[in-house]
Amino acid sequence: MSFDPDLMPLAPALLHWLIVFGSLSLATIVVSLLSMLVIHGGKGLPLFADEVQGFFTDLVSISFRRVAALAKLTFMEAYRRKALLIFVVFALLFMFAGWFMGNDGEEITKPTVKLYISFVLRAITWLTLPLMFILSSFGIPEEIRLRSLHTVVTKPARRLEIVLGRVLGFAALGSLVLLVMSVVGWIWIVRQIPADARSMLICRVPVRGNLSFKDRNGQDVEKGINVGDINEFRSYIEGATKARAIWTFSGIGENSLDSEGNLHIENQFMAFRSYKGDMNRQLLFDYQFRNPEKNITYTTQAWPIVEKRGVTKAIPRKLEVPSEGKTYDLIKDFVTSDGNLIVEVSCIDREQYLGMARIDLFIRLPDQNFAVGFFKAVFGIEMIMILVVLMGVCASTFLKGPIATALTFIMFILSGEDTHRFMDQLIGGKSIKDGWQGGGFFESIYRIVTHMNPTTDLPANYAFTVMQFVDWVLTFFLWNCKQVIPHLKYFNMQEYVANGFDVPFDQSLGPCLLITLAYVLPCVLLGFFALRIRELESK
Amino acid sequence: MSLSGPSTDSVIQIRNLSKVYRDFWGRPKVKALNALTLDVRPGEVFGLLGPNGSGKTTTMKLLLGLLFPTEGEIKILGKSAADVAKNERIGYLPEESYLYRFLNAYETLDFYGRLFDMPAAKRKERSEQLLDLVKLAPRARHRQLKEYSKGMTRRIGVAQALINDPDLVMLDEPTSGLDPLGNRDMKDLILDLKKQGKTVLMCSHLLADVQDVCDRIAILDNGELKVMGRVDELLKAQDETQILSSKLSPDAIREVEAVLKKHGANILKVDQPTANLEDLFLKTVQESRERPGHRTVKEGTAS
Repeated sequence: MSFDPDLMPLAPALLHWLIVFGSLSLATIVVSLLSMLVIHGGKGLPLFADEVQGFFTDLVSISFRRVAALAKLTFMEAYRRKALLIFVVFALLFMFAGWFMGNDGEEITKPTVKLYISFVLRAITWLTLPLMFILSSFGIPEEIRLRSLHTVVTKPARRLEIVLGRVLGFAALGSLVLLVMSVVGWIWIVRQIPADARSMLICRVPVRGNLSFKDRNGQDVEKGINVGDINEFRSYIEGATKARAIWTFSGIGENSLDSEGNLHIENQFMAFRSYKGDMNRQLLFDYQFRNPEKNITYTTQAWPIVEKRGVTKAIPRKLEVPSEGKTYDLIKDFVTSDGNLIVEVSCIDREQYLGMARIDLFIRLPDQNFAVGFFKAVFGIEMIMILVVLMGVCASTFLKGPIATALTFIMFILSGEDTHRFMDQLIGGKSIKDGWQGGGFFESIYRIVTHMNPTTDLPANYAFTVMQFVDWVLTFFLWNCKQVIPHLKYFNMQEYVANGFDVPFDQSLGPCLLITLAYVLPCVLLGFFALRIRELESK
Repeated sequence: MSLSGPSTDSVIQIRNLSKVYRDFWGRPKVKALNALTLDVRPGEVFGLLGPNGSGKTTTMKLLLGLLFPTEGEIKILGKSAADVAKNERIGYLPEESYLYRFLNAYETLDFYGRLFDMPAAKRKERSEQLLDLVKLAPRARHRQLKEYSKGMTRRIGVAQALINDPDLVMLDEPTSGLDPLGNRDMKDLILDLKKQGKTVLMCSHLLADVQDVCDRIAILDNGELKVMGRVDELLKAQDETQILSSKLSPDAIREVEAVLKKHGANILKVDQPTANLEDLFLKTVQESRERPGHRTVKEGTAS
């Protein structure tokens, strides 16, 4: 299957930021209040009010010199405790990686390049994250155990500064590790690929459109034909009919053209032959540019598709129609007043079929340097690392090192794609087979105990109304938990680079940065309360 | 509860301070401190004495906000123990030197100086002053603290406690782990701090040290205050008189005894005073350093 990234547009990301920030902050306040009530009984409430006031006092009195001192201390501590020995593991990995991944003098192919890139980015990820798990989770508990923290808290260092200093120190260390590893990794990739094959190290900048279809009679349909493939990712259009796959691109203008005024369109279609035909020739397709406002259409020449590898065609800005004696301007004539460009694709060969999905065709803007895409993906790893540090430091303010590491690791596992999918299913009240399983938590128990069929309606009385309301509250709580648990799928940008694409800032990098920032204040707040509430000397 | 009593100008005011350590389930485990009330006045050296587990270190940690009181109230430099701002004027030497073992002496003082928001030039100047003051050998200053002996660690611990030129210095077992030379230096330092008008609160179970430097003491046992007052007054033997003179002949001694008996005195002991071992040790080491190679073996010490 072609690379189909899950994008996160900025607007939902902002909403997500709000949910994460609000929910986590609220949860922190509730947990802290409850802790104070448990520890101090009736006096807990005024003490909690004092602590809240103390937080804001600390916030406005933050000394950046103190925070920098604590961050530097954290960095030096990790450095002098030989944390950077991780580079030895990294070096060993790359010294011998060539033995197992070398191409033995054979021609370098795209999958090999993809393998190299994926290997480097994965190696960086899986060497950096465990290191940060351990360092960030053990830092404060070790200081408390050795009582070094006593000499800090008896100075004018505020709890907020201690937490911030720790986070910044570990983040700086992790960033250094990432920087060194990524530079070495990038050099390794470039050196591993012969000079004549380095053109495969590309960083395409795609403009994706929306896809719709017309059937063989020219009628609008939701999908094309299913040729019997169990994979419904692509649907097919029939050749030599009015069937069309129609892409609508927005935001197209002169800046979409290259320096010579050409618009590059790349596609990767699949063929389905209903008869063998000429096997030495690929199926043919053409593009049609259409402007419904001016009611004009331009049809390009026919080209053969290139299955699996794809093909890029440069469409000149000046489109000549010799039969009509006209010349169209691709931008002025075919981009509509609202900035859309409509590209229709048809299959030329009779009774043959072309299969396509939304991502199979895109406008290719001038390529970025490969290094740009590569280091953007590293930045994605950096944000995961920062999330790990935030969670690790936060957990370490109220748990001992091993437990804090375990908690951070569990949070990391919960941030995975499978867990989020499972939570989605629970929240939706659906099973894996998309069938209703008889309501929420209590309703399900009731139905199991009473052997009640999930399709049977519950009796209509107050008890069941209350039960369903409680189920709704629990489901809402679970929904909220799902929102605040980071979804690392969006932070994994290595697939972009491995597949030769740039990482879009507005739909991937920016939103992820925004969501990462949403965790900063609640984690620091929780760390602050935990350090204020607990007795540091307590055994 | 508000603090009451005459000593409103005290540097430290403790009223009915109690501390109960609890187990995981919140059940009382140990009552470490019971209704302690005391004041420490400006410019004095105050000693907290007591056997192990008497509550002196607990008191100090409550003052520093490392522990929370179960009952009672603390004012330290006019502020609550939980107020971080009080730490601007406090220097604290922990019982053991819990410093960062991976830093060297300069880095340690620079770090703590930064916590006081001190500018770089001042930190550097102050670090040199303090390292000289605590007599840390120059060759040791660039070594990591994990390579230091206990005495050296104690010295750097004192230096970090004084980095901010504090008004109140809290020393937990300051002479612990020091050799007699270091011990004497520490006591001289405490007396020097007193001369500078600083208030010193120290806790120790080395009674001779306390006696040498403290103006007032409080003796704790089982978390309760047993005795508090001026050292000279507490140690004064009210029903005895001591007369010290240059060496007398046996005849002169007999005459003095006769005069004393005539006045109804009960003579308890007549003998030659002895120097204490600390003085002898210091004198010997000083001579040894002034005359390297010279060796004096007194009768009865050679084996």
